Amino acid sequence: MIAEDNVLLREGLVMLLTSDGHEVVAVAGAGPDVLPALLEHRPDAAVLDVRLPPGFRDEGLRAAVEARKRLPGLPVLVLSQYVEETYAAELLAGGAEGVGYLLKDRVSRVDEFLDALSRVAAGGTALDPEVVSQLMTTRRDPLQALTPREREVLGLMAQGFDNATIAATLVITERSVSKHIGAVFAKLGLPPTDSGHRRVLAVLAYLNS
Amino acid sequence: MNSGVGRAVRRSAGATRQLVGALRTALPAMAGLAPLLAGLVLMVVLLPWLPAVVRPLRALANAERRRAGRVLGREIPAPYRPPRGDGLGEAVRLVRSPDTWRDIAWMAVHGFTGLVAAVLAVGLWPQIPYSLSLPLWWWAAPDGSTSAFVTLDSWSRALTMPFLQAALDVLLLLWLVPRLARWQARLAEALLGPTHRSLAERVEELTETRAEALEAHGAELRRIERDLHDGTQAQLVAAALRLGLADRRFDADPDAARTLFLEAREGVEEALTQLRTVIRGIYPPILSDRGLGGALRALAAGQPIPIDLDLGDGDAAARAPAAVEAAAYFVVAEALTNIARHSGARHGWVTVRREPGRLTVGVRDDGKGGADPARGSGLAGIRRRVAALDGTTRIDSPDGGGTTLDVGLPCGS
Repeated sequence: MIAEDNVLLREGLVMLLTSDGHEVVAVAGAGPDVLPALLEHRPDAAVLDVRLPPGFRDEGLRAAVEARKRLPGLPVLVLSQYVEETYAAELLAGGAEGVGYLLKDRVSRVDEFLDALSRVAAGGTALDPEVVSQLMTTRRDPLQALTPREREVLGLMAQGFDNATIAATLVITERSVSKHIGAVFAKLGLPPTDSGHRRVLAVLAYLNS
Repeated sequence: MNSGVGRAVRRSAGATRQLVGALRTALPAMAGLAPLLAGLVLMVVLLPWLPAVVRPLRALANAERRRAGRVLGREIPAPYRPPRGDGLGEAVRLVRSPDTWRDIAWMAVHGFTGLVAAVLAVGLWPQIPYSLSLPLWWWAAPDGSTSAFVTLDSWSRALTMPFLQAALDVLLLLWLVPRLARWQARLAEALLGPTHRSLAERVEELTETRAEALEAHGAELRRIERDLHDGTQAQLVAAALRLGLADRRFDADPDAARTLFLEAREGVEEALTQLRTVIRGIYPPILSDRGLGGALRALAAGQPIPIDLDLGDGDAAARAPAAVEAAAYFVVAEALTNIARHSGARHGWVTVRREPGRLTVGVRDDGKGGADPARGSGLAGIRRRVAALDGTTRIDSPDGGGTTLDVGLPCGS
């Protein structure tokens, strides 16, 4: 399901998703259409623009929050021309499973965008690096204790990546990623958790508190 | 001939008398010159401290405006013009402003009459029981005691005069004291309230600041144009160029074409990032999404130190003109960035108030102070942005005493 008012971008997204083998069950171009369509089709994932007609404010975001209230865990990937930490916090308040919040620019990196979407569809998280850096600025003081590498690992973890991806991004071994993650959790006083979603949730809950 | 000499001598004698007579003014002029020059120099040297002297004076006058306003049952508005800067310029404006001199005149008059009136009013009350009881013990009072301006030296006088005095006291209390209170309030209104002259001055000042505002607004437009022209537009042209090159090389050298495609994509992404920055500078998108209140809440929540946000009774969140809201948001954002970067503060406070025709924004921190608008580009940016809307900026940042920024933005309604 796609909600986007700009026809060019909407067609582009449909093209992108179908070419990757997904089926687009519904498209919406206006705010009031989003929630009914979500409730009717219950898609595997929804890609929603924050700002939609008629008000051009945050209709898409509100629809996403409301839909997840009615259908807990409904995977939504929210796209926006700009990212706002507050919006991320509102999305994450209903649980971080199946939540994505990315800058619209990121669709230009097709593979990364599709990867983020499938992560969200599978109940994972995809947060824009800009959101994560905003969150990390807010919690600047406790994060001072971390080494630069540990902060990098924390940032990637908060974006929703797994160990393998983090290791590939930073060009280090998965073992050292695990070591860094252990150190981050110890320094921030978080209870150690196994890898996967729950760990991401713990990190986001910490950054968002 | 003879008479001619006599006339000449008389004329000279007269002129000599006149010159000697002129000594009456010449001597004091000579003696006074040095103290006068010293006084003038002292005044010029002390001038920068004038605003610091006027501030408590105005606070006192404002207290009297409120008090007298309550007595009269109508508000006495302060005629002061908002400060337009710090230091010498502001001091000169204060010297030239009749408001300052009227405040001082009020201070002189009210200082004496206020004391006399209060003593009189308070003193009259005990006078009544005193006078009424006087016939019982007048014989014990010291010799020469008077009542109703008559010396009490016989029973007949002692049994009449005190009652006359008491009647007079009652009359004064009933008639004079309430009038005194009103006269006092009217005096305050006359000296402390706005005059027609200050209205004319306001027009003059508005004309002046409008010219400045137009200038500042023009500078803002030029800055935005430059950002778009040199940044975003140039990036997009470069990206388009790479796409064109990639098209030409596609068949001959697909690998090189691919590199060009990727570079073009990076260029477009870079342009998008710059565009976002420019848009944020013109009108932050969250303002249209959430209004000023919501936008400021989001801003405060994103700070590394706790920020107390005070939006008043909700009226502050009532929509002001878009340009005013954008400027208020910009001021707070810029000030909070300064606080986070330079102040070392542990806590910050943001106050927004919607007054009639005016939106005021205050940002305060408990950091190390010493912020200098001449050095920090952030503060200069705030001034520029506020000036473009004919607003006022005041920065108070003593060393070690935190920083207070007060901004007033006129907003029509």
